[in-house]
Amino acid sequence: MKEKPATIFVVDDDDAVRTSLRLLLRSVGLPVETFGSAQAFLDAFDAERAGCLVLDIRMPGMSGLELQQRLNEIHAIIPIVFITGHGDVPMAVEAMQHGAVDFIQKPFRDQDLIDRINQALEKDRDNRAGLKERDAIQDRMRQLTPREREVLEHVTRGKANKVIAGDLNVSQRTVEIHRARVMEKMGASSLAHLVRMVIEAERAA
Amino acid sequence: MDSNPDPAALSPERAAGELRALLEAAVDGVIVIDHDGRITTFNPAAERLFGYRAADLIGERVEVLMPEPDRSAHGGYLQNYLRTGRARIIGIGRDVTAQRRDGTLFPASLAVGEIRGSTPPRFVAFIHDISSRQAAFDELRRERDRAQSYLDLAQVMLVAIDGGGRIALINRKGCEILGYTEAELVGRDWFLDFVPERHREAARAVLAAALDGSAGPPAYAEDTMLARDGSRKLIAWRATLLRDERGLPVGLLMSGEDISEQRRGERALKRSESLLRSAQAFAHLGNFEAHVSGGPLHWSEQMYAIVGRDVGDGPVDPQEFAARYVHPDDRSLYQRDWQRALASTGRFDLEYRLLRADGSTRTVHSLAQILPGADGDSRVITGTLHDVTERRLAGEELRQSQERLTHVARLSTMGEMAAGLAHEINQPLTAIATYSQAAVRMIDRSGGIEACELRDPLVQITAQALRAGEVIRRLRGLVRNRATHAESLDVNRLIEELRVLSEPDARVNDVRLTIELATGLPAISADPVQLQQVLLNLIRNAIDATLEAPDAPREVVVRSQLVADGVEVGVIDHAGGIPDDVAAQLFNPFFTTKPEGTGLGLAISRSIIRAHRGKLGHRPTPGGGTTFYFVLPPLPGA
Repeated sequence: MKEKPATIFVVDDDDAVRTSLRLLLRSVGLPVETFGSAQAFLDAFDAERAGCLVLDIRMPGMSGLELQQRLNEIHAIIPIVFITGHGDVPMAVEAMQHGAVDFIQKPFRDQDLIDRINQALEKDRDNRAGLKERDAIQDRMRQLTPREREVLEHVTRGKANKVIAGDLNVSQRTVEIHRARVMEKMGASSLAHLVRMVIEAERAA
Repeated sequence: MDSNPDPAALSPERAAGELRALLEAAVDGVIVIDHDGRITTFNPAAERLFGYRAADLIGERVEVLMPEPDRSAHGGYLQNYLRTGRARIIGIGRDVTAQRRDGTLFPASLAVGEIRGSTPPRFVAFIHDISSRQAAFDELRRERDRAQSYLDLAQVMLVAIDGGGRIALINRKGCEILGYTEAELVGRDWFLDFVPERHREAARAVLAAALDGSAGPPAYAEDTMLARDGSRKLIAWRATLLRDERGLPVGLLMSGEDISEQRRGERALKRSESLLRSAQAFAHLGNFEAHVSGGPLHWSEQMYAIVGRDVGDGPVDPQEFAARYVHPDDRSLYQRDWQRALASTGRFDLEYRLLRADGSTRTVHSLAQILPGADGDSRVITGTLHDVTERRLAGEELRQSQERLTHVARLSTMGEMAAGLAHEINQPLTAIATYSQAAVRMIDRSGGIEACELRDPLVQITAQALRAGEVIRRLRGLVRNRATHAESLDVNRLIEELRVLSEPDARVNDVRLTIELATGLPAISADPVQLQQVLLNLIRNAIDATLEAPDAPREVVVRSQLVADGVEVGVIDHAGGIPDDVAAQLFNPFFTTKPEGTGLGLAISRSIIRAHRGKLGHRPTPGGGTTFYFVLPPLPGA
């Protein structure tokens, strides 16, 4: 499956700032979409689209911080680079506490902005890759039988086959067969790999 | 005579004859009565007096000749005398009233004697008609009464004192002034009882000198007199010597006028004149009077002081005043206003400068009125000249400190807006930086760039630089300290121009600023910077109020509209309204509800609007919140 190119979404109420950002980002070959308000962006938001958000922290109506909050509420993972004016440091700190990638003060050097955007895009890629892996693990876990699930739980808690056999009141041989099937179904190359996959899957839940 | 016996003694017959002749020739009525009161002799003169014939009365009682009450009482008198020998009339004589036969009465002088040697005793009466004497006497008395009434009619006090200083005569006015009746006064010692002790001896000396001829009585004198009620009367005297029939001085006749009231009035007048003089000096206020077509001029003392002219040089008329004292720069204004006052308005009201002889300049305010003269031909100019130099100086100082304070308040408001303004300048700077960096990247891009591709960013850079410049220009206009001046203004335009500054302030506070302008508003006269200051202050307050009320709609509306008194500009918020205790102090200087407020904003805003003859107030916004508004009168003719 071919991935769509990542897009830079710029949200700023100031026409001139917005337009100049579009020109700058296009000049470095980045796909850009601009929005004059947080609400306009939210209306057009598509969680599937890769990219990052360049967001003015102060705007009339819904502010940048409020948009960040709304996105968190819907578990959107799009990384945010805030642009701030002078004297907005407390707001920038708050934005960082809520998961923003970074912030940059106006006016800014183009390279500083581009570096942060690239960071954000990388994070988005990671996020999306991680998300994809989690989805795959969860798919595989759903293919396990109830008994295999029980064995998986015990295995990931680090119990020996003999102990598991005792706990489940089955033979040690039976535990070994289930465990081999779990390893195979989950595509785990080692016990350590299996444990990491389970942790990953639980984190997303 | 009894002791000298007549050498030729009369015979009884001869004596009787002589007595008869005597009785008949006598002018007086002679009547003889016996002890019982019966008439025995009634002579011809008595017949003429009483209208009886002797024959009719001989043997009748004498009482028929008397009217009542004497008629009834006479018998008793006679019996009384005979018994006691005590006489009421006998040997004495007196004036009585007698009655004629026809009943008419006449005054008579009566002398009665007892005829000795006869037993029982007989009495002879001599009666003389005194009617004519009585008439003359009555006439005299009437004359005296008339004279007295003339004296009484006189509205001056008339008093005659004799050589001993006693009151011989005093008229009614004199009695009134001194507070006594005439009877109480006549005979009293004038000096002792009515002249205050202080002057008593001097007054006696005047009388003495007049009497002994060493000095005539004073032609005019003013003296204090003591009245009955203890008050002192100031009397203006004129005196003349009274002489007896030999021409010797016997006393003084004085006419006196009570001038207490007049003198009191004069004193009051003098006092109020002196008060006026000192009041004028304190107030640096002079007054003057002149006649339009020439005539007597009057200047109060202070006029001379203000223009620096010697009182001895006298006043000058308004024309000469203009030439001599009005500052050359103000002279045409002065003369134009006088001409207008004389020609039509009748009023003169001008502030101008004087150039005094010593070269100093004074600022004066003159008010004058032109009124018809009393005689109808020459109009009278009355007016005042007020030296307002010091007041102007003080006023100028006050104005300057007010301007400084206004400026401070303006800066303070600007300070509160700093975040918004910084943002407003930062935005175009950001755009400029971004555009130019984009352009550089476009140039650096592999494959180069068409020149036309740079056009758009460069146009944008220019626009943004101008945008930042505009904000700074507006800011400078407000921050600069400059003299107040009024100009004809379009309120709507003023509001629009202010948007550059007020909108960023609203935006950084996440408040929407809406501007609603009415069309066709008349122009007003105002100082644009001061008016913007008021408006910024009201918008600032509205934004702060909105921030204080988290649930309120985050909108501030600036609305212009035409109202009855002129043009109203309202700043409307939907915040929590104003608590009563705050409302009471809202316009007090240094009262503030903001942690960093100066408390000057509203106080100064209101004084600015008042200085523009407008009013600033507040009212609740329908649906919640507060509307602050100011109304300015339209420019005349706008």
